[in-house]
Amino acid sequence: MTIVWESLAKIGFMFALIMGMVVVLIWMERKGAAYIQDRTGPNRAAILGIRLAGLVHPVADVFKLLFKEDITPDGRHRALYNLAPWLVMTIALSTYAVVPFGDFLTVAGRQVPLVVADLDVGLLFILAIASLGTYGVVMAGWAANNKFTFLGGVRATAQMISYEINMGLALMGLILVFASLRITDITAGQADLLWGWLPKWGVVVQPLGFILFLVSVFAETNRNPFDLPEGESEIVAGYHLEYSSMKFALFFMAEYAHMVIGAALIATLYFGGYQIPWLPRPALEAHAGTLLTVKLVAVALVSLLIALLFMRRVQREKGKFGDARDREPVLGMGLWLVVAVAAAGALLLKPWAIGPAGASVFASLAQVGAFLVKLVFFAWLFIWVRWTLPRFRYDQLMRLGWKVMLPLGLANLVVTALVVALV
Amino acid sequence: MSFEGLPQGSGAKEKSFKESLYLWEVLRGLGVTLRHLVRNIFHTGEMPTMQYPEEKRVYSDRFRGRHRLTKREDGSPRCVACQMCSTVCPADCITIVAAEHPDVEIEKYPDSFEIDLLRCVYCGLCEEACPCDAIRMDTGIYEIAADSREKFVVDKDFLLNNTTDGTR
Amino acid sequence: MANLTIDGKEYEFPDGTSLFEACREARGEALPHFCYHPDLSVAGVCRLCQVEVEGMPKLTIACNTTVREGMVVHTRSEKVKRASQQILEMHLINHPVDCPICDQAGECGLQDQYMEYGLYESNVTQATKVLKTKAKVIGPQVILDQERCVLCSRCVRFCNEVTGTGELGIFNRGDRALIDVAPGVELDNNYSLNTVDICPVGALTSRDFRFVKRVWMLKSADGVCPGCATGCNVRIDHEGGRVYRLKPRRNPEVNGSWMCDRGRMTYKALHDERRLTEPRRGDQEARWAELQDELATALDKGALGLVVVSPHQTLEEMYLAVRLAGSPGKVVSGPADAGMREGDSLLLDADRTPNRAGLGVVGISELAGKDLAAAVAGARGTVLVLGGDPAADAAVAAALRQHGRVIYLGTHGNETAGCSSLVLPGAAWAEKQGIFVNRQGRWQAFQQAIARPGNAREDWRILAEAVGRQDEEAALGSLKSVRAALAAAVLADPSIDLNKLPEHGFAPGGEN
Repeated sequence: MTIVWESLAKIGFMFALIMGMVVVLIWMERKGAAYIQDRTGPNRAAILGIRLAGLVHPVADVFKLLFKEDITPDGRHRALYNLAPWLVMTIALSTYAVVPFGDFLTVAGRQVPLVVADLDVGLLFILAIASLGTYGVVMAGWAANNKFTFLGGVRATAQMISYEINMGLALMGLILVFASLRITDITAGQADLLWGWLPKWGVVVQPLGFILFLVSVFAETNRNPFDLPEGESEIVAGYHLEYSSMKFALFFMAEYAHMVIGAALIATLYFGGYQIPWLPRPALEAHAGTLLTVKLVAVALVSLLIALLFMRRVQREKGKFGDARDREPVLGMGLWLVVAVAAAGALLLKPWAIGPAGASVFASLAQVGAFLVKLVFFAWLFIWVRWTLPRFRYDQLMRLGWKVMLPLGLANLVVTALVVALV
Repeated sequence: MSFEGLPQGSGAKEKSFKESLYLWEVLRGLGVTLRHLVRNIFHTGEMPTMQYPEEKRVYSDRFRGRHRLTKREDGSPRCVACQMCSTVCPADCITIVAAEHPDVEIEKYPDSFEIDLLRCVYCGLCEEACPCDAIRMDTGIYEIAADSREKFVVDKDFLLNNTTDGTR
Repeated sequence: MANLTIDGKEYEFPDGTSLFEACREARGEALPHFCYHPDLSVAGVCRLCQVEVEGMPKLTIACNTTVREGMVVHTRSEKVKRASQQILEMHLINHPVDCPICDQAGECGLQDQYMEYGLYESNVTQATKVLKTKAKVIGPQVILDQERCVLCSRCVRFCNEVTGTGELGIFNRGDRALIDVAPGVELDNNYSLNTVDICPVGALTSRDFRFVKRVWMLKSADGVCPGCATGCNVRIDHEGGRVYRLKPRRNPEVNGSWMCDRGRMTYKALHDERRLTEPRRGDQEARWAELQDELATALDKGALGLVVVSPHQTLEEMYLAVRLAGSPGKVVSGPADAGMREGDSLLLDADRTPNRAGLGVVGISELAGKDLAAAVAGARGTVLVLGGDPAADAAVAAALRQHGRVIYLGTHGNETAGCSSLVLPGAAWAEKQGIFVNRQGRWQAFQQAIARPGNAREDWRILAEAVGRQDEEAALGSLKSVRAALAAAVLADPSIDLNKLPEHGFAPGGEN
């Protein structure tokens, strides 16, 4: 029975993580795009005049999309049309089952592995489920009975099939190096050090494979520069053109969920997953007290610094707007001061004298934290690339996939196999 | 795709091996965007974005805003309803109904003068065409908003006293 | 015949041809002119049509010169150009140039000719112009602006020569000369608006059309006036589904350059508030689709008792009515004297219907009111009334009411519509194509100018569909095919294409 509750808790954590990440990513996308383009970005939606630097906008969006009229095209295939957004969303969420977000957590003396389903064919599961995503897209494109959505669906299918091959080939090298299809094994394998100083991350042992995988993931998630399935200039909005209201929101969220899974895979397979470089689990547990103390002090200092920055804004922007917005810097300063005080206060609890049980929990949380940091960074990479690179032309996309990446992937595989066989 | 035989532009020169990999160029691009991002995070105030309703751009005096009808000294419209403006209007947004003026010296005046601001393209040809300097677009008003299409059709009285924001 | 050279080319014209007309033909366009008019006497007062004739010491006006053997004429020489520039400059000295408020703007002789031949940099520095009366009402239809007048005297000649009423005259001398009516006299005859048409500038304008539209916004269609049996050729000026005015179209065989004021006002009935726009069954509005079956049964050859055709209908419709009824005996028109009023000797006919002659062409007999009432009473089956208002006659109205099964296909909600169980909205004359046969027996085709109001349909189409239901081989799907069938039925020479009638109409048996 415990295992059921454990699994439910882990699924719940993953679901909350992804959904939370979706909101944060939407915010990051908007603000990031704006700042990259020298704009201020969304800064209007507010609760009681507090705008949280645009973080309220996703909330406003949710309400807008929930209450919008659900316009459906005539001549659609009713069942498939309604099924498609759910399929896309469900598949996007399912992939997370095999991604470990930490090593294990000791709860009541039991070691609970921090992964929903530790499949021995985890990588195959990911490849299989990711391919299913194509169905949702092509269904949406076809069922809406619109030439633009149809073209979008066809483009998406051709693109996904082409890049899945490259993705698989890139992963083959990784599988050869770590000799396992189980993702936890691959992550655990990345804790070692090469020559005593270089973390044996996937990116280190498979640099070419990493680049191929990164490009393929971008193509699989239909993100720029591979977002041809929704190329506005040619096919309006592609496969989800005829969707509105919450059905559109599902596609929208699925795109970001795909980004999160993409980021999670990159982090897990090529950047050591939850592993903190040079700090393997035993070291973490052994020095838990010191590390925790350092961390609390660091948090307190950084928060204080941010609070001071806010204080400068308080002084500089006094009465700038003449309404509730003027209170924002005050609120920000207060919030960070509270964090600083809390962190400093926690020092009173003598964190340097933490017991072995506490040390184990700290080690687990620190690893989950490391995973989240990597996840957020690679999710940001998606956004960063989107606002840097222009979109490919379709023939360029296909040429890259079949004439450049496929031979490179094969070469990588052969070289890896030779090296693995010889060493 | 091959374009043999076509003149090659400067952009089509042979790529070096480093360029043909693109990776380096992609990284450089990421560097450019990151530079902008970081600069803007720490210098929010220097962004060119205007916080529109609070801040407004100053336009040139020659900016073509919403139309107005000029008046004679007695306050009646200068317009003689010759319909040159509605004739020249490329958007066909001016509708004039002429009537007989009691003063035989004026003879003709607009009984109704309507402009559909939604159709107007603000080209200023009506000003150019007007033989009586009766229509001008010098109000500088560009904030034209309403909650129904009907309200964008403004009438003679509105155009004669067209100095405030909003529509009818 | 006289052989002469105009602008370097040889031409041959009959003796007595005016040099003006010869030049018009040779140049492809008229010489600049104000006072010349083909249907009026030559005045030679505007001095604008001057041409250079070799051998003559000075320039001569073309309108008052006849062609002569061996003449060598230059119409585009530098001398001629300078002359017309100077004359136009003179005409403009006292002209107020108030084009923005002038109804003539856009079809103004002064505007057009100054654009083409004018002297743009005038030598005249005179600061003040001679002021005269503006906007003077000189009659029920016409308004006069003496300042705009170029004293071409066309209007004066029209009133003297055509109507013989002589209301207008030129008073004073020199630059104070002006057109006016004599004290106590009004320009009040049935042809007064022709003075507006022939006025080359905006001196005489129509009170009916005053400030209604700028003329360049109007589109035109060729029509035939439905006001009386004369069938004056008209130009229907319309815009946006509304007819704004009728202007005479020159047809020397029928109406010359003129038409009567009464005829000009016939367009107003098109936009009458009594126009039928929707089919009605009793008091209820119906839709055409719902009436299909009902019409099919009611208009069946067996079920149709009598068709009463108005002389306002087109020839095609009359023909189709006969086709529909099966025998000419079941189709009548009447009452015979409806529309008969007083006419005049010029254009207005006593018969105020445009196509009574057409009844004879297809063999429909006319009945007097009493006889028509009897025919209606005796009709077994549906009575179909095509246009007009036979129920204006009380006896006919009573008979129609008595009969009960009456279908009225017409344009206005009149007495007859009130007597009918089923009222179908038809197309009025400007809303359809057709042929009217005038009092001379001349067949004149007219074009459609505007769209039909609401859900009104073309009468001929309704009739042709009804015919088609009974006779599947009738093939009357288009007006072209109806006209072909009509020509085959009534013309001695059925090869004549009724879609391409001659410009001035077609008189079967006549010389054209």
